Amino acid sequence: MPSSTSSFERVVPALPWRRILIAVALLTAAATLGWEIRCRTWGYTATLNDTADLWAQQRRKVRPDSLVIIGDSRPLFDLDLDALEQGLGRRPVQLALAGSCAYPVLADLAADEDFHGTVIVGLVPLMFLAPGGPLLATSEKALKRYHHGTWAERSGHYIGRFLEERLAFLKQNDLTLESLLKRLPIPNRPRALIPPPFPPGFSTVDPERRSRMTDKCARPGALQTRIKEGWLPLFTPPPPPTFVPKDVFLAGVGSAIETRFRDTAAAVKKIDARGGQVVFVRFPVTGRLKQLEDAATPRAGPWTRLLAETGAPGIYFEDYPELASFDCPEWSHLSAPDSVAFTQRLVPHLQKALAKGTEAAH
Amino acid sequence: MLFNSLTFVVFFALVLGVYWSLRDWNARKNLLLAASYIFYGAWNPPFALLLFATTALDFYLGSRIAKAQQPHARRIWLIASVTSNLSMLGFFKYGNFLLQNFQWLLARAGVAYRPPHLDIFLPIGISFYTFHSLSYTLDVYRRVCQPTRSLRDFTLAVSFFPQLVAGPIVRAADFLPQLIAPPRLRPGQLGWGLLLMTLGLFEKVVLADTLLASSANTIFGYGGVVQTLDAWTGVVGFAGQIFFDFAGYSTCAIGAALCLGFHLKDNFRFPYAAVGFSDFWRRWHISLSTFLRDFLYIPLGGNRSGPVRAAINLMIVMFIGGLWHGAAWTFVVWGLIHGVLLVIERILQSVFKGATWTSSWGAKLLLGLATYVAVCFGWVFFRATDFATAARLIGAMVDTRHRGDALLTTREILQVGLVTAGLLLAHWKLRDTSVPAAVARLPRWLVGAVWTLMLCAIILAQGTGNAFIYFQF
Repeated sequence: MPSSTSSFERVVPALPWRRILIAVALLTAAATLGWEIRCRTWGYTATLNDTADLWAQQRRKVRPDSLVIIGDSRPLFDLDLDALEQGLGRRPVQLALAGSCAYPVLADLAADEDFHGTVIVGLVPLMFLAPGGPLLATSEKALKRYHHGTWAERSGHYIGRFLEERLAFLKQNDLTLESLLKRLPIPNRPRALIPPPFPPGFSTVDPERRSRMTDKCARPGALQTRIKEGWLPLFTPPPPPTFVPKDVFLAGVGSAIETRFRDTAAAVKKIDARGGQVVFVRFPVTGRLKQLEDAATPRAGPWTRLLAETGAPGIYFEDYPELASFDCPEWSHLSAPDSVAFTQRLVPHLQKALAKGTEAAH
Repeated sequence: MLFNSLTFVVFFALVLGVYWSLRDWNARKNLLLAASYIFYGAWNPPFALLLFATTALDFYLGSRIAKAQQPHARRIWLIASVTSNLSMLGFFKYGNFLLQNFQWLLARAGVAYRPPHLDIFLPIGISFYTFHSLSYTLDVYRRVCQPTRSLRDFTLAVSFFPQLVAGPIVRAADFLPQLIAPPRLRPGQLGWGLLLMTLGLFEKVVLADTLLASSANTIFGYGGVVQTLDAWTGVVGFAGQIFFDFAGYSTCAIGAALCLGFHLKDNFRFPYAAVGFSDFWRRWHISLSTFLRDFLYIPLGGNRSGPVRAAINLMIVMFIGGLWHGAAWTFVVWGLIHGVLLVIERILQSVFKGATWTSSWGAKLLLGLATYVAVCFGWVFFRATDFATAARLIGAMVDTRHRGDALLTTREILQVGLVTAGLLLAHWKLRDTSVPAAVARLPRWLVGAVWTLMLCAIILAQGTGNAFIYFQF
């Protein structure tokens, strides 16, 4: 028997703990209910958070011959999974990630020796060619969760889903304490290098990660204006850092972009070699955001070069009047009803592009 | 499994419910053992085997130490235990670090050697459970505790889930006696335990992760020079973040253990109100500093062989303490900075021995603030990933004429300022008392109101499951 050398005992303050515990439970429940009601009156509804766990759950659904969507938020909003399934005969797996560069996900699929399916890559050249930073980090975080996620994280995700499907206030990009503090109108110092804020959440997400723009965002109003204004600084390339000489920095970025072109071509060829297919799609963009993107990455630049170097087919929305006729309410994404119509009109082009790819392979 | 996760909420509710519904003490202990291995295995199941292997080996070596009659035989079995534990820790935690340094040394000697990068996953909390387990053989050797005959009890003592991965470092000698007889749930124990868990989660989720982490991450992650205000905000923000993160974990652990009827000692005692560095180490990560004191400083001779030898012993202890935190020279420098500060403090104490002014409140406050500022400078090396970042930050902190970049929003600066002011005020107000004593003095409605506010803030913060900083150690 171990000798008892420890007579330590924690002191418990003499208070009526049972009564305090009951009061705390009731007050907390009442405060939570009040907050839930307040959030619903602001127009929030219960919906899932598009987390790395939800992404990893979808990634686990990828089979060797799956139809997979990757890219940024445009394929996430603009593609309707039902319409794609009807048109292409396979239920797609949605792996696009808002605010991300899709290259790491493409490379991961290419590295999966079993994968010989079809990949639809939504392409915004500014994002796809990002040499580093948060765009790449978003994809890498999701991939890390898929490859190294723990059982504890998985079970936490399922419990979280259960709650998120029922409570409107559980909205991680809008209603957390941090998000609420960020909205305080406190001016910053002049010349402070503050990254532009990400626009507030404006979508609902279902378990398959189908994202739909909310009606409130699709209608002209304060939210829509706020989101529009948010895109312009976000899509403006940041100035070179002050601690690296400009020419050295630009040379580094140039070299990273060259590497990205080479690596993308290699990834596409790997998938092709296994009998898979990759198709690039440029989704609708309108207004001042389109002007900004066209000026920064003209079509004759990265888009044309990427198709040439990868040999993959591409669908550019402006080439087809039936795809170019859509208006993006906040310049960057389609409304939920338009996304269904857009996908239906996109399907024949996808079929054609994929058939060509198959012929070329034979 | 993280304390700040929904999985843990469900897990703990289930364990607590089943635990107190069982009448048989052995059944309860079996439940806790199974729960502890599930808690740990939920990260990476194979590492649970490693945890068990360490435990089983120390259980065996502890019994050999106790049975050995000759002093040299006892010492050999102890050396076997220390060597096996430290070898495992060395392989998993310091393997690549040692190889890199070996490569550097060979390069100095003109030998070009490129070692293979070992793809080693660091088992979570390995530094903590190694010390939990090692404390047993050390205490059996010192005859502070007798060996237990129950492998189950010892395995539970090492793996008890509240303290398993990030402390406090609970010594087997403190925990094993609590496994002899079933604990009784005393009035208020469950309520107080749950309040401590709420306080710990509030510190982690709201104060550390939501209000402080972003400033520290921005400043320590920046590659250029920042303005003095930003540098100080980032460093002071990290000082608060690491306290709330680690003390939050310890508070949760103590609360969870108390709900189950176990008593763990304090790991923090208002460290930012410390007056001097020896006082700081009596208040910060107490379980580690007492472990190093009892098992390293005193066996080295402590201060029994004169001031010079004592100073050397202190530097050795702080070197090891720094290295224990991470396999990088920045951690070693952090430890050595504290070692030097402790030595200087001893010299000053002997110079000003008998001076009455040092015990006045004003002097205490000034010395306390000086201690806090020095500790903050130390944190720069602890948090920075390399010496270049640390040098840039320290340069920005001391040179107000420097024209660096402004990176933080006004809101972030205000957040860090307000939280830090609150933290320092609370520590100074409570420095000579304890949390239970302070709470006992409050009116019951205020206790309920503060508890409710903390819970609401945790719910509002919707933590995204950021791991505790000390998990990596």
